Amino acid sequence: MLMRLCLVILLLLSCAAHASEPELLEPEKAFRFSARLIDTNQVEIRYEIAPGYYLYRNKFNFSSEPAYVAFDASQLPPGKIKQDEFFGAVQIYRGDVHFVLPLTITGKPVSPFVLKAVSQGCADLGVCYPPQEQKAELSFTAFSAAAPGASTAPFLQPAPQASGVPAAVAPQSEDKLIAELFKGGFWALVMSFFGFGLLLSLTPCMFPMIPILSGILVPHGEHLTHARGFALSLAYVLGMALTYALAGVAAGLAGTLLSSALQNPWVLTAFAALFVALALSMFGFYELQLPSALQSRLAAATHKLHGGHFAGVFAMGVLSALIVGPCVAAPLAGALLYISQSGDFTLGGTALFAMALGMGMPLLAVGASAGTLLPKAGPWMQTVNRFFGVVLLGVAIYLVSPLLPPVASMAAWAALLIVFAIYLHALDPLPHEAPGYRRLFKGIGVIALLVGIAILVGALSGNRDVLQPLAGWRGAAAPDARSPQFQRVSSVSELERAISASGGKPVMLDFYADWCVSCKEMERYTFSDDAVRARLGEMVKLQADVTANLDDHKALLKRFDLFGPPGIVFFDRQGHEITGLRVIGFQPADKFAAILDLALK
Amino acid sequence: MKRVPQALLITALAVICAAAGFVVYQWRAGDDNQTNPAAIGQMLMAAHLIGLDGKAHPLEQWRGKVLVVNFWATWCAPCREEIPGFVKFQQQYGTRGVQIVGIAIDTAERVAPYVQEIGINYPILVGGIETMDFARQIGNRAGVLPFTVVIDRQGKVVTTVVGIVRPEKLASLLGSML
Repeated sequence: MLMRLCLVILLLLSCAAHASEPELLEPEKAFRFSARLIDTNQVEIRYEIAPGYYLYRNKFNFSSEPAYVAFDASQLPPGKIKQDEFFGAVQIYRGDVHFVLPLTITGKPVSPFVLKAVSQGCADLGVCYPPQEQKAELSFTAFSAAAPGASTAPFLQPAPQASGVPAAVAPQSEDKLIAELFKGGFWALVMSFFGFGLLLSLTPCMFPMIPILSGILVPHGEHLTHARGFALSLAYVLGMALTYALAGVAAGLAGTLLSSALQNPWVLTAFAALFVALALSMFGFYELQLPSALQSRLAAATHKLHGGHFAGVFAMGVLSALIVGPCVAAPLAGALLYISQSGDFTLGGTALFAMALGMGMPLLAVGASAGTLLPKAGPWMQTVNRFFGVVLLGVAIYLVSPLLPPVASMAAWAALLIVFAIYLHALDPLPHEAPGYRRLFKGIGVIALLVGIAILVGALSGNRDVLQPLAGWRGAAAPDARSPQFQRVSSVSELERAISASGGKPVMLDFYADWCVSCKEMERYTFSDDAVRARLGEMVKLQADVTANLDDHKALLKRFDLFGPPGIVFFDRQGHEITGLRVIGFQPADKFAAILDLALK
Repeated sequence: MKRVPQALLITALAVICAAAGFVVYQWRAGDDNQTNPAAIGQMLMAAHLIGLDGKAHPLEQWRGKVLVVNFWATWCAPCREEIPGFVKFQQQYGTRGVQIVGIAIDTAERVAPYVQEIGINYPILVGGIETMDFARQIGNRAGVLPFTVVIDRQGKVVTTVVGIVRPEKLASLLGSML
């Protein structure tokens, strides 16, 4: 039965993997560029060329901005010879190409500078890419007199920003940061993912796994040895890890984001419902039980599996990974994002495997202790269960809050906090001789109660910010009046119309959603700033409110490769996107004003 | 053994939820509407590009014909491979209302000698690299060459092909329109 379920999952995963046809890579993915300075005389250039793609050796051109660095491209290493029907014997590069170029500095070096690399290549499928320019920001500062020849300058990302853009513009979203992690060495990377998994194991995401594991260990009762406990939990953790590794490989093969599928409203709602169901059982509203007929059949099946008990536990690990999946979606998204872009599924699979092992470490500890670390039955178990119940409900609200109207999610948080407080006896009088822990619980309960009431009051008085529920009461600050007026766009065609009607003004497109906290911060602290407002006055300001997450909204986000707000995109006077000038996440007024200056140039 | 079935139930429930959610997602993602072919055709027809004579030519002038727009460049080997086929095709089907138009992502200086050399018998327009942005919008997401767009007599985009189109393939693509 378990194995069959397991098969179904594998089938589902493989269906997802084959759903999309092999597509041509976008040029920046087919030819990944990076560069670093070795010292003040040499720069190392690296192109990671996807399998099936190649670059022409004679089409490179390297220059700098500002133009005080000259590169000697006559030193390129020989390539492979390709007999071309039209161009004769040409030299091409395939795979991972590194080369070192001598550089000469003319004039006064200003750090940093931008290396602009032009390359041109084709795919074996019989198509070619137009010459493309890629940039990396390099700096000589690492080679000041104090550190001659230090070659520790880290490999730079193919600078996604245009020259002169403050470094703070680089997208700071969690998944991008993780994608950057992959720039390190293979084992360093695998280790950091392991550590990352350890951190994740401390999040509430792992709670649903504890009852499952105890379900595995407890039946062995007194006969459970440390070795057997460890082995059982190892089988369980390996099952979980293997699932993640497969997800990583599937993402690598499919070139699609599994995690974006996990972040769609239906899946989120389904999982939130599951968490609520789990929470209610934690509160003891009901015992999760199968119908007795099924139960006896399952028990029989488990007996049959006796020799292969480990296989059953392993399969349970596989299934558990799916429960926890959406909860750890953000870090998964980062890993899968990189894997799907690079197609490097060995690394991706290994890294995710390591992450899952990290997540499983506490479970292994529980297993090795032969269950002694597991909560023993007793009245205090009730308390632990209820606490987990509250946390699970919190996870459920967190999962669906992007989908709910803000009033609803605020009300849900308020209700959760208030009910939690009541469970902690916040309103019951303390007995005179109450022990210390009861006083502590009551204190926590009263705080939760107050916060819950504040959120509820805030929600009912029209405020929509969970973190500052009473902000509306600050008096007549009326920030709305100071915020610039945006023109609403809600689909790609509306956006195109608005851009073509911009009359030669630069255009700013702001992705917004009611649940997006940093969008609100931008509105409140940045857009209302006088310097920012003055600059925005010279631009066409568009806003896409994607709160409703309609198909049009998704298409619009996809157009800019965004998963959701926050995100601000700029277009120049001709209506082309100014690449690299994107602002993702909150940015204070002074930095944002500097970016607007660049957009207005 | 009592708690194992409970754990099983939880995991099974999770799997069912995830599978159901995923199926619904796939089903909903399926009806993402494609960009409207009439609107794309309109955009393309409205474009003005510079010809080898140095003058701007609107694509509108070929409305009413079965228009085959081929994006290419002299530096693109596969493009060079397919162009003789287009020359032959234009010769053969020109009288039946087919008009091939080449848009070169290139410079006029390099295009002109090549047009002479091959004897290209259809109009060639020259566009800058920004012309590729346009090609990207109409189904050529990776922005590659060669790329061919077929537009019917009403100005509606019928099909787009990334990569080499041989004359036989083109004939079958145009089949019902001739």
